[in-house]
Amino acid sequence: MLKNVVEPEPGSLDVTPTTPKAKSRTKVFALNAKDKYYALLFLGPSVLLLALFVFYPMIKTLYISLFLTSGLGKTTVFTGLGNYVRLLTSADYLNSLGVTLIYVFAVTILTIALGLLLAHLASETLPGIGIFRTLFSATMGVSVSVAAIFWLFIFNPSTGFLSLLSNWLHLPVINWLTQPNTAMVAVVITTVWMNLGFTFLILLGAIQSVPTSLYEAASVAGAKPGYQFFHITIPMISPTLFFVSIITLIGSFKSFGLIDLITKGGPTNATNMLVYRIYKDAFYSGNFAQASAESIILTVIIALFTLLQFKILERRVNY
Amino acid sequence: MMKQLSKYLKFDLVSFFAVVLTLLGLAVAQKPQAVQAATSDGKTQVVFWHEMGGPAEQALLKIVDGFNKSQDKYEVVPAYQGSYDEAVQKIIQTHGTNTSPAVFQSFDISTAQMMDSKYTTPIQKFADADSYDLNQISAGARAFYAKDGQQMAMPFNTSQPVLYYNATLLKKYHITPPPVSPSYSDISRVATQLYNRSNHKVKGMTVQIYGWLLEEALANAGTSLTNNSDGHDGTPTKVNLNNPTTVQFLKWIRSNIQQGNFINYGSGASAGTNQIAGFLADKVGMFIQSSATIGQLTANNKNKLGITYFPHPDGTKANGVAIGGAALWISNDKPQNVQQGAFEFIKYALNAPNQAQWQKATGYLALNKDSQNETVLKKLYASNPEAKVPAQQLATATPNKTNSGILMQGMQLTRELEETAMETVYNGGDINNALTTANQSINDNLKLTNQANGVKPK
Repeated sequence: MLKNVVEPEPGSLDVTPTTPKAKSRTKVFALNAKDKYYALLFLGPSVLLLALFVFYPMIKTLYISLFLTSGLGKTTVFTGLGNYVRLLTSADYLNSLGVTLIYVFAVTILTIALGLLLAHLASETLPGIGIFRTLFSATMGVSVSVAAIFWLFIFNPSTGFLSLLSNWLHLPVINWLTQPNTAMVAVVITTVWMNLGFTFLILLGAIQSVPTSLYEAASVAGAKPGYQFFHITIPMISPTLFFVSIITLIGSFKSFGLIDLITKGGPTNATNMLVYRIYKDAFYSGNFAQASAESIILTVIIALFTLLQFKILERRVNY
Repeated sequence: MMKQLSKYLKFDLVSFFAVVLTLLGLAVAQKPQAVQAATSDGKTQVVFWHEMGGPAEQALLKIVDGFNKSQDKYEVVPAYQGSYDEAVQKIIQTHGTNTSPAVFQSFDISTAQMMDSKYTTPIQKFADADSYDLNQISAGARAFYAKDGQQMAMPFNTSQPVLYYNATLLKKYHITPPPVSPSYSDISRVATQLYNRSNHKVKGMTVQIYGWLLEEALANAGTSLTNNSDGHDGTPTKVNLNNPTTVQFLKWIRSNIQQGNFINYGSGASAGTNQIAGFLADKVGMFIQSSATIGQLTANNKNKLGITYFPHPDGTKANGVAIGGAALWISNDKPQNVQQGAFEFIKYALNAPNQAQWQKATGYLALNKDSQNETVLKKLYASNPEAKVPAQQLATATPNKTNSGILMQGMQLTRELEETAMETVYNGGDINNALTTANQSINDNLKLTNQANGVKPK
C-alpha cells in the first residue's frame, strides 16, 4: 500500500507540509468501533494460529535456553545466560559461525552472479532459446535429496566423475568431501547449483519486463551493450535483485538438507553450519537447552542481516 | 461507545473459542487409532518401535510376523522410527503418553541414558518370573546392557567390529593374509605390500572416521575411556581420551597415511557407503567396519572376502571388543499384560532358530548359543567360512569392564568430538593437540550433563 503513494516529484509545485507517508498510515486507535470489530475478526484467526505455532514455541525456546536440560529433555538447573556465554566463548561455536558466514556470502554472491549471467544470456531472443531457458531453470524441479545423491556420486573419491576426470587428465585426485577446505567448496557448489534454477527464472522474468524502448534509446545514443547492462538492466531489475538476495541469504542461513546428506557437518566441523548444529545438538545429543540458545542466537543474526540489507540495499533500489 | 465495543469484543471472543475448539477437536479426533490396547479379535496390542532399514527390516518383520502367527494372545505392531539417534529422543519424549511404544529398540550408546531414565522395566524381572535362562544368550552381548548384575535390556541386533580384506587381491599380489587376530603392524605390512605391489593402484587400507572404532581400539587394548570403569562402577565424571592407547592407534593410522597406503573416506553415512564402494571396486584392500556389513560384502562381491578380528596394538594380546548394535527395552508405562506380551516377543525373537536366520539375513550375530547348531548357520559357514570370524571374536573374549561398552550419557556428542579429533589427525593435525582439545570439550560437556542430571561430582 505504501508504495503506491505518489511521492512529490522534486521541484514540483506540491508543497503540502504533511508528508504523504504520514497520511497513509492509519493509527490503530483512530479506528472506529466497527472497524475494530472487523480488524479483530479478520486478524483474529491468524493471530491465534501464530500465537499457537509461532509465538508460544518462540517463548518456550527462549525459556529453555536459560536452563540446563537433563537426559530426559527436562529443564533442571537454571543457568541464566550461561548457555549463551558458553556458546559465544566456545571456539567450536565461533567456528560454526565463521563457516556459516563464509558459506552464506559465497552462496548468495555466486548464485546472484551466475543467475544474472544466465538470465542475461537467455534473455536474447534466438532460435532454440527455450531449450536453454528450460535447462537453466531445471534445478528448480530437483529435490534436495536427489541433488545430494547426484553430487555425492560426482564427488566420490574412488568412483566419482570428478576423480575419473582427474585421472584421465593425470591430475591429482581431490578427496572433495573429506578435506575441510574442499568440502566447503563442494557444499557451496552444490547449493549454488540448487539455487540457480529459481534465481535464474526470477531474474529472467525481471530482465524481460524491462521496456525495450530504453535499450533502443540507449542504442541510438551510442551506448555499448556492457554499458546498457550496467546502466539500464541492473537498475531496472534492482527490486528483483534485492528480493532474490534476501531470499538467498536467509535461505542459505537456514540450509540444512544438503549439509545433512552430503557432509553431516564434517569434516572437522568445516561445514557444521548454525542450523545443522541446532539439529544435531537437539536431536542427536539431546541437549535441548544449548540448541535453544543457538536458535535464539541464529534468529537474532538473521534479523540483523535482513535489517542491514534493508537499510543498505534498499537505498540503491529503484522501484 | 464502550458498551458497543465490549459487545463486539465478547462476540469476537466467542468466535475465537469456536476456532480453538474446532482445532482441538480435529487434533483429538486424529489420535485414538494407535492407542487401542486390544485389537478387534481380542489380542493385546504390543507397539514395537525399531530402527532397522533395508534388508534388516525385512528380516525383522519376518520375526514379528512369525511371532504374531505363533500365538493368539498378543499382536506386535512394528513401526520404523528412522535413525537410532532420533529414535532415542522420540522414545524419551513420548514416554508416559499413549503414543509411546511398549517395546523398543535403542542403540548401544543410549544405554546409560535409558538406564538412568527409569522409563523401562528390567528384562531381569521378567526372566526371573518366567525362569527364563539368560545364560543361553551370549555373555559378551549381555554385559553391555546389564547394571549391578541386573539385565536391563535384551541385546538384539549385535555386531562386532572386524577387519575385512580383499583375499583375491592379496593372492594376486602374493601377499600373506593377516592372521586371524592381527596386530597393527600386521595390517601395516599388508597395506604397504598391497599399495606397492599394485603400483599404487590399490590403496592398502582405510579406517573410517567413526568414534565407535576409536572406542573399540581402546577396548581391545584394555583401556577405559572414562573413570568408574567406563561407567560400570558408577556414573563417569571424567573422560581420559588423551591416553597412550589412543595415541598409539592414531599414530598407526598416521604412519599409513604418510606412506600413502591409506585412503580417507571421511565420516558419516556417506563415508561408510563410499568405503564399501571403494572396497568392492578394488580401490582399497582393507577396512574396519561392523560385522553387520558382511551381507553387503558377500552379495555383490566378485572377489573372495577375508575377515579378521579387530587389530590390536603390538606386544599385547587382544582384550576383545565391545559389541555394537542395539537392544530391546520394555517400557514401564504400559499395563502388565502388554509388558508381558513384549517379553514374550523378545523371547521369541531370541530363540535359536530365529537368531540363526537373523544372522544369515543381516550379518548381525546370532546371540542364542544354540543357534550355532542350526542348519541355517552350518550351511552358511560351510559356504562362507569367514562368516564365522565375528561370532568367534565375540565368543573368545571374556567380558570385563573395559570391553563391555561405555555407560555414559552424552555419548552422541562424545563421539562427534572424537570424530573431530580423528579428522584433525587424518588431515595432518598434531595428535596430542587434537586429543587434548577433544578431551577438554568432552569433559566440559560431561560436567554440564551430570549437573543437569543431578549427579554430584565426587
